[in-house]
Amino acid sequence: MPTLTLKFKENSIKEFPLDKETNISIGRHNENDVVINNLAVSGYHAKIDSIGNGFLLTDLQSKNGTFINGKTINSHYLTHNDTIIIGKHSLIFAYKAGESRPKNTAADMDQTMILDTGKYKEMMEQNAPEKRIAKKVKIKEAYLSIFSKDNEEVCLSKKITRIGKASDNDIIMGGLLTGKTAATISKRPGGYFLSYVDGMKKPKVNGSAVTESVQLKEFDIISIGSGKMQFSYKE
Amino acid sequence: MIAVNSAGLTDVGKKRKGNEDALIIDDKLKLYVVADGMGGHLAGEIASKIVVDTILDSLHNTDEQSVKAESIKDIKDDGLSPAARMLLSGINLANHEVFNASRAKESCRGMGATVSAICFIDETFIVANVGDSPIYMIHKGEIETISVPHTLLAEQEAIDPDKAKQFESRYKHILTRAIGVKENVQADICEIQSFKNDILVICSDGLSDKVSPEEIRDLVKIKAPEEACQALVELANNRGGDDNITVIVIKIIKTGKKKESGISGFFSRIANVLANIPLMQTFKK
Repeated sequence: MPTLTLKFKENSIKEFPLDKETNISIGRHNENDVVINNLAVSGYHAKIDSIGNGFLLTDLQSKNGTFINGKTINSHYLTHNDTIIIGKHSLIFAYKAGESRPKNTAADMDQTMILDTGKYKEMMEQNAPEKRIAKKVKIKEAYLSIFSKDNEEVCLSKKITRIGKASDNDIIMGGLLTGKTAATISKRPGGYFLSYVDGMKKPKVNGSAVTESVQLKEFDIISIGSGKMQFSYKE
Repeated sequence: MIAVNSAGLTDVGKKRKGNEDALIIDDKLKLYVVADGMGGHLAGEIASKIVVDTILDSLHNTDEQSVKAESIKDIKDDGLSPAARMLLSGINLANHEVFNASRAKESCRGMGATVSAICFIDETFIVANVGDSPIYMIHKGEIETISVPHTLLAEQEAIDPDKAKQFESRYKHILTRAIGVKENVQADICEIQSFKNDILVICSDGLSDKVSPEEIRDLVKIKAPEEACQALVELANNRGGDDNITVIVIKIIKTGKKKESGISGFFSRIANVLANIPLMQTFKK
C-alpha cells in the first residue's frame, strides 16, 4: 500500500501508510489523522478516501486551498509521486518500489463505484463543525400557521400531510363542500407540493384554485375549506 | 382503485458482457423496482438479483399484523405511512441479505447495488431510493427528479454548487450510499399525490448517462410505455451502450380514492396476489 510522507521544506516529518480501508483527514485540528500545525492550514483542510483501487484527495473548502503538483484542486485522483501542497507543508504520495499500482484510474472511474469508506458520513459530519456544510444545507422545517385556529403552528414533518374534513386527516379543516381529504402536502426532494385531492371546493394558493398540484413558496397563503393558513420555513 | 399502464425493459448494452441490472414490474402489487448491481465477476448480478427477490418476497409475505409487529419495529416513525414503512423494511431487508452474502463468499466481497422503487397506494405513490438510479415524474409536461442521488458529486453540489462544477465528470458515479455495503442503510423516501396522466420513469444510469431527462420526457409523452421503453433503450445503445440499460415507464390512467384507512387497499391487493399462488389455493381446499 502507498504511503504519504509529510514534509516541511526538505525535511520529512512523518510517514503515514495508506490502506484500502482507511480514510485520512488532514488539517490543523488535533482530531485529524494528519495534523499540520500551521495557521495557513484550515481546521479540516482536506481528506483522502480509498475508492476502488485508488485514492481520492478532496479539498474540504479550505481557506488557502490544496495544490497538486502546483495546481489548485477540488478533488484529484492520486498517482505515484504526486506532491500535495498544503500551506508550507507538502505531502508526497508514493507507492513502494515493485508495488502494483492501479493501471488507469481515470478509466476505472467510468464504472459505478461505491465509496468504500465506512467513515465517510462521519467524516462529512466531523468536517461540518467548520460550519460551512452545516450552514449551507441546514435542514429547514416547513410549518403551516393556521390563522383560523389562533395561528396554531403545525410542523410539516411527515412525508405527506393530509388536510380535510374527515377525522383521520393530519389537519382537520371543515367547511361547506370541502373534501374529506381536500388536499395533501408532500415533501419531495425539490420542495413541498400541495395537491388537490377531492371535494367540490378546491384548495387555493394565494387566491388561485389548485386543480392538481403546485409547489409551495415561503409565505404562500393557502385556503382550504373555511380555513386559511400560511406556509413558512423555520431553522 | 388506481390503474396504471406499465412496461419495463432491461438490456445488456453494447460493452458489458453480463447484465448487472434487475427489475420488478408487479402490476398486482403495483410495485416497480430497478436495481443496478456492482462488483467484480458475477457479484454485481448476484447483488441486484438478491435486492429484487428480497423486496418482492418481503412484500408478498407480509400481512397487516406482521407488518405492525415485526418488520417495521426497527424503523423509527418519521411521519411515514404504514405502506412506506413496509417498503423501507423491504429495502432494509435487501441490504441485510446482500451484506451477508458479500461477507459469506470471497467472490462476492464488496458487491453492492442501487435500488429505486415506486409503489402505488390508493391515491398516492411512494418513492424510495438508495444510490443513483433516477426516478423521474412527468406532470403536466414538466419532468422532475423525485429520487435523491447518493453520489459524491451530488453531495458536493449540496455543499458548494460552484465548486462542484469543477468536479470532473468522472467522479459522478462514486456512490456514497448503496445496498449491501454497510450493515445498515438509509433510503430516501417520499409520498406523492398521483394524478391521471402523470408518467413515472425509473431507470439505471446506463440510460440516464446517455439520454437527458428532457429527451426521456418527450419520448414517454408521445409513446405507449412499451414502445417508449424500446425507443429509450435503442437510443442509449445508439449512443454507445456503455453500460447495462434498464427502464420502467408507468402511466397513471386512473387515480384511486382513499379507502377507509389508506393502507387497506394495499393489503387487499397483497391478499389477492396471495390467493393466486397455487400453494395458497391448496390450503383453501
